Order: sequence, then C-alpha cells, then structure tokens
Amino acid sequence: MKRILMEITDFFSGMLKVMFKGSRWFYLWMCLLTLIVLAGLAAYTLQMKQGLEITNMREQVSWGFYISNFTFLVGVAAAAVLLIIPAYIYHFKAIKKIVVFGELLAITAVLMAMLFVLVDIGRPERLWHILPLLGSPNLPRSILAWDFIVLNGYLLLNIFAVLYIGCNQYYGKEPDRKIIVPLVMVSIPWAVAVHTVTAFVYNGMGARAFWNASILAPRFLASAFSSGPALMLLIFQVLRRVMRFEIQDGAIFKIAEIIAYAMGINLFLMLAEIYKEYYTAAQHLTPMKYLYFGLDGHKRLVPWIWTSLFLNTIGFFIFLIPRIRKNFITLNAGCIMIFIGVWIEKGMGLILPGFIPDALGEIYEYMPSVYEITISLGILAFGGILYTLFIRTAIAIDTGRLRHKEAPPIVPEEEDTPLAANIMTRDVISVTPDTPVEEIGSTLVKHRISGVPVVDEKNRVIGVVSESDIIFREVYEEPDLLERVANIILPEQYRVQKKKGSYAIDIMTSPPVTARENTPLRELVQVITEKKIKRIIIVNEKEEPVGIVSRIDLVKAIEKISY
Amino acid sequence: MKKRFNRRDFLKLTIAGLTATTLPGCSKNADWQDLFRRRFQELTPDEIKGFLERLEERYSKQYGVKIHIKATPPVEGVVFGYALDLSRCIGCRRCVYACVRENNPSRDIEIQWIRVLRLKKGEFDLEKAEHYYSPELVPEDEYFYMPVQCQQCENPPCVKVCPVKATWKEPDGIVVIDYNWCIGCRTCMAACPYRARKFNWNDPVIPKEELNPETHYLGNRPRMKGVVEKCTFCIQRTREGRYPACVEVCPVGARKFGNLLDPESEIRYVLENFRVYRLKEDLKTEPKFFYFFSIGWG
Amino acid sequence: MKKGRNSFYLIIIFVIAYLSICYADEIIKLAQMPAVFDSEFYPCMSCHAGMEVNTNRRYLQFHEEIDIDQHADGVFWCLDCHAPDNRNKLRLINGEHIGFTEVHRLCGQCHGSIYRDWRAGVHGKRTGYWKGTKKYVLCTNCHNPHNPRFRKIKPERSPMKPIQTLR
Repeated sequence: MKRILMEITDFFSGMLKVMFKGSRWFYLWMCLLTLIVLAGLAAYTLQMKQGLEITNMREQVSWGFYISNFTFLVGVAAAAVLLIIPAYIYHFKAIKKIVVFGELLAITAVLMAMLFVLVDIGRPERLWHILPLLGSPNLPRSILAWDFIVLNGYLLLNIFAVLYIGCNQYYGKEPDRKIIVPLVMVSIPWAVAVHTVTAFVYNGMGARAFWNASILAPRFLASAFSSGPALMLLIFQVLRRVMRFEIQDGAIFKIAEIIAYAMGINLFLMLAEIYKEYYTAAQHLTPMKYLYFGLDGHKRLVPWIWTSLFLNTIGFFIFLIPRIRKNFITLNAGCIMIFIGVWIEKGMGLILPGFIPDALGEIYEYMPSVYEITISLGILAFGGILYTLFIRTAIAIDTGRLRHKEAPPIVPEEEDTPLAANIMTRDVISVTPDTPVEEIGSTLVKHRISGVPVVDEKNRVIGVVSESDIIFREVYEEPDLLERVANIILPEQYRVQKKKGSYAIDIMTSPPVTARENTPLRELVQVITEKKIKRIIIVNEKEEPVGIVSRIDLVKAIEKISY
Repeated sequence: MKKRFNRRDFLKLTIAGLTATTLPGCSKNADWQDLFRRRFQELTPDEIKGFLERLEERYSKQYGVKIHIKATPPVEGVVFGYALDLSRCIGCRRCVYACVRENNPSRDIEIQWIRVLRLKKGEFDLEKAEHYYSPELVPEDEYFYMPVQCQQCENPPCVKVCPVKATWKEPDGIVVIDYNWCIGCRTCMAACPYRARKFNWNDPVIPKEELNPETHYLGNRPRMKGVVEKCTFCIQRTREGRYPACVEVCPVGARKFGNLLDPESEIRYVLENFRVYRLKEDLKTEPKFFYFFSIGWG
Repeated sequence: MKKGRNSFYLIIIFVIAYLSICYADEIIKLAQMPAVFDSEFYPCMSCHAGMEVNTNRRYLQFHEEIDIDQHADGVFWCLDCHAPDNRNKLRLINGEHIGFTEVHRLCGQCHGSIYRDWRAGVHGKRTGYWKGTKKYVLCTNCHNPHNPRFRKIKPERSPMKPIQTLR
C-alpha cells in the first residue's frame, strides 16, 4: 500500500515538474488562459448567486450560448477519436501519437462540454439526480439521460486508454496490443454514438420544427468530421513546431482531404435540408427563413449564418483542390475557416432557430450576454490549460523525460527505414510531351531503362512512358461505347478507328505515380505492389523529377536492410 | 419504518459532503436534510408529512406568513379535462392575473402560466399571434383571442425528455413537477409544443401580502430559483373539488372544467355537444385541454 | 274522449313532477344567487300599481336609459316579458307569471340551445365546486336583458417582453 502511494506521489511530482517547466511563451500562454478562467469563474459566481437571470436566455429562448458550445464540443470530442480511422488505414507514421493526442483532445472536449451543461442548469447541486443508482435517471425514455451516460462512458473510456498507454510507457513497457486495439475499436463506434445521441436530444422534439429533421444526426457527424480534424491539424502543426513531434506532411494532407469530403457531405446535407424546406414552403420553413433571411425585420442571426456558409464553402474548396490543400498557408486558413464555420453552424445556428420563432410564434432575438460569453470563454480557456498540460505530460512520457526510475532506459529509436532519397536512381532522363514515340524507344534502348518521365515546359512531371506503353501503341485502342454506337450508324469512311498517337503525350500514363524524397521505403513498396507499377517518379516540392525508384532499386534496398 | 443505513446512503453522504465543500454559493436556502432525500414519489406518507412540515416552517420563516402545504392525493375515478370556448373569450387577461394571485409565481422576471394570444379573424397562424396587445378595450372587432396554458397532455413530451424523472403525469391526468428534484436543465421547455413551462431565472419575488398561503406541494407552493414550473389546473383547488382560479374569474364563462370520466360533467357535455379541437393535434400529445366554439358570433 | 283528456292531464302532471324533482336542487341553487333585478330591489309595483296598462310601443321618459332596440333588433316591447298586470313579475309566453329569480325560464323560451347549455353548466359561469355545490349565475347577472351583448372592457396589462427583463 505504502509503495503504491509512493509510486503515485513520485509520478505526480514528476508530472508537475514537466508540466510547469517551460519557456517564456509557455508561461505567457498559461497566464493568459488562467486570467480568462478567473474571469469566467467570477462571472459564474455571480450566476450562482443571482441565478440564470444574468444570461439573456428567457422562456422564449430557453437554451442559448452554453448549449450551443456544448453541442459543438461533443462534435470535436467525437471527431478527435474518429481521426484514428484514417491514421490506421493510411498507415500514418505517428499513429500512436495521433491516437494519444486525439484521445486527450476528446477528454478535454468532453470535459468542456460537461462544464457547459453544468453552467447551464439551474440547480447544479442536484446534478447527482441523474446518476444511476444514486439518483433517478429517466431511462430509457430521456435521451438527455442517455447522453449523460454515453458522454461519461466516452470520457472514462478515453481516460482509461490514455492512462494505460501512458503508464506502460512510464514503466518502459510496451502497451499490450490485446488491450489497446479493442479499446480503440470500442472508442470509435462510441464516438459516433456520442454525437448521434447528442443529435437525438434535439432531433426527437416534435415541438421544434428546425431540429425535427432526420438529417440532423448525419449532419452532426459530417460537420464534426470536418471541424474536429481541422482543429487537430492546427494542433499537430503547433506541436510539430514547439515540441518533438513528427508527423509527415502526407498525413496532414490526407486529413485535409478527409475534411474536404466531410465538409462536402455536410454542405450537401445542408442543401438537401434547405431544398426540402423551401420547396415544401410549409410551416417548417419559418425557422430556416429566420436563420438565413430574417423574419419581419428580425435578422440578428443572418450575418452569422452567412459568414458560416461562406467560411464552410471556401474551406471546402481549399481542401478539395490538392494544390491549395498542400500549401500550408491556405491549409491553415482553411482549418480556421472550417472550425469557425462549423462552430457557428452547429452552435447558435442550430440551437437558436429551434426557439425562434418559439412554440407560440413569438420572436425573441437572443444573443448571449456579457456574462454568458465570459463564462463560456472561461470554460474554453480551462480546456486550453488542460490540453496543454495533457500534451506536455504525454510528450514528456514519450520522450522519457518523465519515466519511472526503475524503468529500462529508452533505446534510441532505430534509424528510420531508408527513404526514397537514399535509394533512388538520381540522374533522371526525361522527355517532353512532343517527343516522337520512335525517339523515346531509342532512348530506352540506349540507356537500358524501362521508362521515362514526361515533363512539361516548367519541368513538372505530367506522365510516364514505359516499355509497355510503346508496345500497346501498336494495338488499336478499344473504342468506347459512344464510338461503337457511332460506328454502327456512320458510313464506313467516317468510322472511328483510333490508333494511338505518335508523340509522348499520346501514349503516356497520366497522372504519374509520384512520391517525395522523404517517403519511407515501406510506403514505396506498398504503392508499387498495390498499383502494380514498375517505378515511382520521385519529385521535389515543385513537382520536378529528382529521381526514379524502380523495382530493382527496391530489391537492392531491402537486401541491404536484411543484413 | 426504519431504514438501514446502506451503501446508497453512504454514497449520498459522500456526495453531500463533496457538494457542501465545493458549492457553498447555492446553499443559502437549502435545507441539507432535504437536499439529499429521495424522490417525492418514493416517499412514504410519514416521510412526506415530516418533509412538508419542515418545508412549511422554512417557507413561513422566509415569507413571514404562515404557509400551509398539502399533498392531497389524486381522487380515484377522476381525470381532469378543460375546455375553452374561443367564441366567448374576449382576451381580457383576467385569467392570467387570477392565476398569478392563486399560484404564487415570480413577479420579478415575470412568470405567467397563461398566455393569451391575439389572432386575426380569418386566420389561425400562431406565427402571426400577438402576445403583447394592449388596446383600450377588448374584444377588438378584427381579432379573436386564444389563451394557452399547460395542456396536460396524455402523452406529455416534457415528461418523456426529463432526465431525472422530476416531472410526471399523475393518475388524475395532471402533469406535475417536484420543484425539489428538478435540476433546471430546461429540456422540458424545449420539448413542450405549447410553451407551457416556465423557468425561475432568479429567486422568485412575491410580495408578502400577495402570497397565497394555501398551497399544494406539487402545485402553488413557493418555488426557488433555477427550477421549472407550470400550470397544474390549480391542483390545490381541483383535488378538493373546487374549480381552478381561471375558471372562476372568467367574466364571459369561456372556461369549462370537470371530470372526463363523469358522463354528467360539464366537460363531457362540451365534448359531446360541440365540435372541439386540440392545439397542435398533429404532434399526438393528446392534450386534455380542448378548444371549442359554442356560437358563431362573438 | 273525456277519459283520454284525463290521462293527458295525468301525464302532464307526472312530467312536471318529474322535472321538478330533477331540477329541484338546481332551483335551490338558483335561489341562492340574488338576481340583479330582484323585485325587492326594484319594487316596480310601488309605482305601476295605479297606472293604466298601455301596450303601445312608445317613448318612455321615466325609463329613458333602457334601449330595448338592442335586444333582437327591437322586435320586443316591455310587456312581452314584464307581466302587464304585475310588474314585480315576469311573464312567460304561456301567460305564467314568474319571479325575477327564474328569469332563465323566460330567456330560455327563445334561446333554447343556450338555455340547455346553461343548465348543463356550459353556457355562462360556474363557480364553487366542480364536484359538489356549483354556484350558478343567472342570465341577468351577466347580461343586461335590454341590451344583452357584453360591453367591451379594458384588458389587464400585457406580459413583460423578454427584453424588458434582461439584466
């Protein structure tokens, strides 16, 4: 017993040490957040004393800014864990850290969400009435009671996963995959459940036309899957800059691509909803009309929702177009846009039109009071403090700065597997699009290579011509469906009979499969086997060819490792 | 009935201790002994008696008036129904203030259980309803009036969504709230299609001389800040056989009340002899509050 | 022939007896409410006793404030309802004299369905106990019989707008 106590005190003193040892910027950041938290606490004390009268909520609009933030944060919490899926599928190098950081963010976001509920309710000291056994949760009928249970379950699940990984690392042990994998596998559907149940709280109310649409839960997930990862991308980049945390650009761009899809779905679902309401133009339209255009001169939400729509749309296109998505300035701008856009859309843009006009047709244009904003900022700042400290501890454990004294010392990580740059053939011979096929043939023969990249006038790779492309040129190309139909109808002299052209551009494979110099060997092998190709063109950031990795290069590299 | 000290009590005590140390601000009027009691529905008659006595004492001290709190149970074979004759209502709001005098709602951030809507003749669009009409005289020629209060639904959505079972439908059909169990999350307010539920945004203010000292635990006893309240068909009167205050005050006799299970009752007469409708019937809440039109003019 | 008439009378008597039993408690209740135009309050006969009965429609200087035209577009004249030979009484169409406390019987002659609703407790106001002694209110307690439509009244003040309650 005493030993365990000692262990715990050791751990916590060590944790405090790493938590609060930092640069001037760190202290500045923490002081700022602490000040905001204190302001929030002061406002909350007043609210405890006076009641919720200091908010601008009234019986017409009985939920406001607090519940808006609650809803948004549940989405963030859900998405932070859902990010594990792409990390797993696409083999992101930093998956272990992405899991931990994601779960830590989920913990923080759930805690903030719960605080938002706590400050919203009229009798916080009676919150225990909702606890099973102790109180009287209205199960299975009340979705809010369910939400309380799933949220807490989610919180505990994530806390357990993080503690388990952390403790193992602290003692220098490898976490047991038999425990970690099921944990993660449970937390993923749980994340979906958490957000779905939250959506159902609103969704199931016949009294509120704006929420009573079955599209609500899918929309919640889609918007969460765009705002959550957007926040994670920003956090990853900050971490990459201020701490030892490596995540490949590739992973970041992949997440950005996922954001584009999620936002695309979100926008599509939103348009589907707008279509349904506007084309039907029945009573359900009124709250939507209020939201987007205002009702009888009441239009305080209008600028907000259009800002949100604008930010979401721009963000969508930023993430949709690869070239913009891969530029860090536009990428970060896009992340911020989507984060704010979804915050408006899913916060005030969702909660308030549920109440405006209210069940008896009255319009009360709610906007949060100064106190509500202060308390909310306080909660967000508290989350900021928590997450900062969580991350610092996690990184300290990961790097071995926070470690049990009897734990085996950290074995310096093995040299990374060879990168493309180490194994590629450098002097690249390339051709231009207008090089005649015959000339390409003689080039291949002369240099004893099996393919050449085709570059445009700016020396960017636009395709590859390989031996097989030249061989297949001799075969008539298969006519497509339209051409076949035309061939039946048209007189003989007009029939389409295509032979592949005579220049590089006509026969090349495009787009080419390319990779960057820092791509690890494992990934190269994977691409080559999956796509059944013979070579990968290695390009720099300007898309210029700097080398080629062919199958034989891979064979040589693998041979070298095994020695 | 003596209860053993069990694990549940222990947990409660622990929580009590924790809460007492962490939430000193909200405990001004709270009686610790009652803060950690069980739900009203689970109390034995003896426990209720003791509890009500403590409450009476606390309220009497707080308001300086002797206050009686009953917990009259529902009468067997009675389900209350209400009917309102829209062709008679003149929109004078006498009912609103009779209700206020009877039921002790806050006068500060005003709580009124009845809301009278003014609608244009020829339309029935709640979105065009006027809540704040105040002409010199009523009725106005081009409008009619529709008072709305708790509709005492058979399928109350507010009861369904309450996360802590602080509100329920009594056997006589009245939907009641235990003000000492409500956590003030206001989900019921979001779920109510009739805006019948009101929240105490601050400590309710009731002038001592206006306080109605004859109260019911589930009805018009004074409330505290941070809880939800609503019309109970004047449970403190109707369970004793009296008419609700709004029925008695209506100068045009537009309000009808009675036992739905009694074929001789006024309410049954209305249901059988007039065509009635219920507000937002499409939501299937099945109110026990009926609107009807007894005449074509008015 | 004569026998048939007798049994007819018998039936009538029975019906009246039955009805009076049925409505006995109601009539008792009615008696508890003072009618607005109680004959003791308005001892009409103290003036009218010596006056000649004149059934002609004409201007009445003493009753100038009564605008009988407001009731049923002026088809009535005072003596359609007030008993010509005893002004402390009202007169039904069948000639029966009734007191002011039974005014509902008079009104019910024309307003049959409303009379029915009233008896059921649905027209007009009831106070007291929904289960137990109901207090009925007579027609003339609420309606001015000469001008029965309600006059407009001043409404109570409107509720506070939410914006007025913000801190």
